[in-house]
Amino acid sequence: MASVTLSDVKKSYGKAAVIHGIDVDIADGEFVVLVGPSGCGKSTLLHMLAGLETITDGTIAIGDDVVNDLEPKDRDIAMVFQNYALYPHMTVAANMGFSLEHRRVAKDTIAERVKWAAGILGLEPYLDRFPRQLSGGQRQRVAMGRAIVRDPKVFLFDEPLSNLDAKLRVVMRGEIKALHQRLKTTTVYVTHDQVEAMTMADKIVVLSGGRIEQVGAPLELYDRPANQFVAGFIGSPSMNFIPGQVGASGFEADGVTLPCPAGTPIGTKAIYGVRPEHFTLSPDGIKAEILIVEPMGSETQVTMKLGQTSVIGLFRERVAGMPGETIGITIDPAKTHLFDAVNGQRLG
Amino acid sequence: MKTDLSPRIKVIVYGLMTVLLIPFVFPTWWMVTSSVKPISDIFAFPPDIFPRRFDFSTYGRVFELQPFAQQYWNSAYIAALVTAGTMMFSSMAGYAFARIRFPFANTLFMIVLIGLLIPAEVTIVPLFQMFLGWGMINTHWPLVLIPIFGAPSVFATFVMRQFFIALPKELEEAARVDGLGRFKIFWTIALPLARPALGAVAIFTFLHSWNLYLEPIVFLSSPENFTLPQALTQFTDAYGGALWNVQLAAATMTALPVLIVFIIAQRQFVEGLAHSGLKG
Ligand SMILES: Nc1ncnc2c1ncn2[C@@H]1O[C@H](COP(=O)(O)OP(=O)(O)OP(=O)(O)O)[C@@H](O)[C@H]1O
Ligand SMILES: [Mg+2]
Repeated sequence: MASVTLSDVKKSYGKAAVIHGIDVDIADGEFVVLVGPSGCGKSTLLHMLAGLETITDGTIAIGDDVVNDLEPKDRDIAMVFQNYALYPHMTVAANMGFSLEHRRVAKDTIAERVKWAAGILGLEPYLDRFPRQLSGGQRQRVAMGRAIVRDPKVFLFDEPLSNLDAKLRVVMRGEIKALHQRLKTTTVYVTHDQVEAMTMADKIVVLSGGRIEQVGAPLELYDRPANQFVAGFIGSPSMNFIPGQVGASGFEADGVTLPCPAGTPIGTKAIYGVRPEHFTLSPDGIKAEILIVEPMGSETQVTMKLGQTSVIGLFRERVAGMPGETIGITIDPAKTHLFDAVNGQRLG
Repeated sequence: MKTDLSPRIKVIVYGLMTVLLIPFVFPTWWMVTSSVKPISDIFAFPPDIFPRRFDFSTYGRVFELQPFAQQYWNSAYIAALVTAGTMMFSSMAGYAFARIRFPFANTLFMIVLIGLLIPAEVTIVPLFQMFLGWGMINTHWPLVLIPIFGAPSVFATFVMRQFFIALPKELEEAARVDGLGRFKIFWTIALPLARPALGAVAIFTFLHSWNLYLEPIVFLSSPENFTLPQALTQFTDAYGGALWNVQLAAATMTALPVLIVFIIAQRQFVEGLAHSGLKG
């Protein structure tokens, strides 16, 4: 086990820069999730951590050792790939024991470790099968088994659940989390799914365009997003954004005045942010015109017009209204956010 | 492939396939049956589907007229060497072109491919000069070396390269993380997975070498060194007339290994295809 430190890590392919200087400190035993939209450089960063890609600039340290020039095998890391990358021509047991075999570990020790890993992952009945004879979830487990047999310093996961169906994804999410709690190995987990990030991470690193947008605990990112990008990325459905300016009695948007926290100078042009789940129904609140009502059982999603802007509201109650009718809503000013209209940074 | 065809369409399709089969099967059938006919029956018109009289002595005469066992061995071991050599070189070269980034890799590959455009007839004279200089005329060396370092191997390299390019990179990345070096990745991961491509390479290099005709007649001069295609032309009577039935007996024996190689390699082919692919 070990900590991982990235300092000013950069990557270019020829002239094209894809990672523009990343600094992250990962504590020993921490579960860190790298999240961001497709193409933002998550896999590239993970590959650099693994030693599968060269580092253009900056340093990566695992524990106290700078590993920039070490081969993957000398970094003592294990990686789980998006498509599992199981060796198709080897049995499950051979797949899991493969790395140990190449480290000249004794045969009994290998068998013992494979049995131990298979036990944890519920793979004992499948040890003699080939990957093609397994289901998606089972292959996923074998890929994890291959990583844990070695007891590495760091686990790297690259979107390990994206090939599974929604239900299995939830199950495997739980299993990975449980595995981490049991083994307490430092883990770097890449995903573009913010729900995975929120539910699994000790710490989330939000990336966009090869830069860090924000680093923090899941609820920190949810409660105080540092900029409009993070605000829109974390949470589902996404936060509503309404352009306008700060006025004397609240936030003045097109055709409506909304409650906002004090402290921002009057007249500041800004983007007002409020999450769908932070609207409350109240007959004498702000009037909004209903556009679409989508009942989901436990909650109701309503697309409505607030002034001239269409926003999404998520209510625990059932909403009886029909499109065209108006409802009243209130917003707790403490749960709203203001972002700079120009650079999108958080105000206040 | 499983399709649900109505019985009527099935009859039509199978009928058509049977008709199309005739031009493929008939020559082989005629070769095999004529090899046991007396020579006077071979040119009967219309041809006999089944021999009227049998004359199995042709198979014995094959071995009397030529050192046929020796020639058979020549062809067999040359084809085996060529196949093994080509598989080795083409898989390593194909892997290098597919996976190792080195300067001018693509340009170099193009230059190698150009070798395919040059007909054997163009290079045969300079090759003769070269092997003459090395004292290898009337030996089997040219027949082994030319295919391994010539056009057949270039084509094989191309096939292997395309296969390795399509092989998921993640498999090799996983192997690197698991602690393997470049050669071990090639040997324990890439090569075993390349069985379908290697099967194809094995089939066509073996066939190419087995059927090679121009090079043997250029480089070989004594019957005990001949290969089979060359030997087949030698079954004549005292006046130079072709002994058709003896020749066809020899041809039948020549065709046999081709059939065997094809059956063996084809199974590998299908098996290999089932192995490939990561998910799904
Ligand atoms: N070999 C390469 N040469 C040039 N550009 C590359 C190369 N590999 C990746 N890139 C670029 O680097 C950027 C980051 O790619 P990367 O694969 O890290 O994205 P990602 O965040 O993992 O996306 P996804 O969620 O789709 O997997 C992309 O814009 C991509 O086009
Ligand atoms: Mg990726």
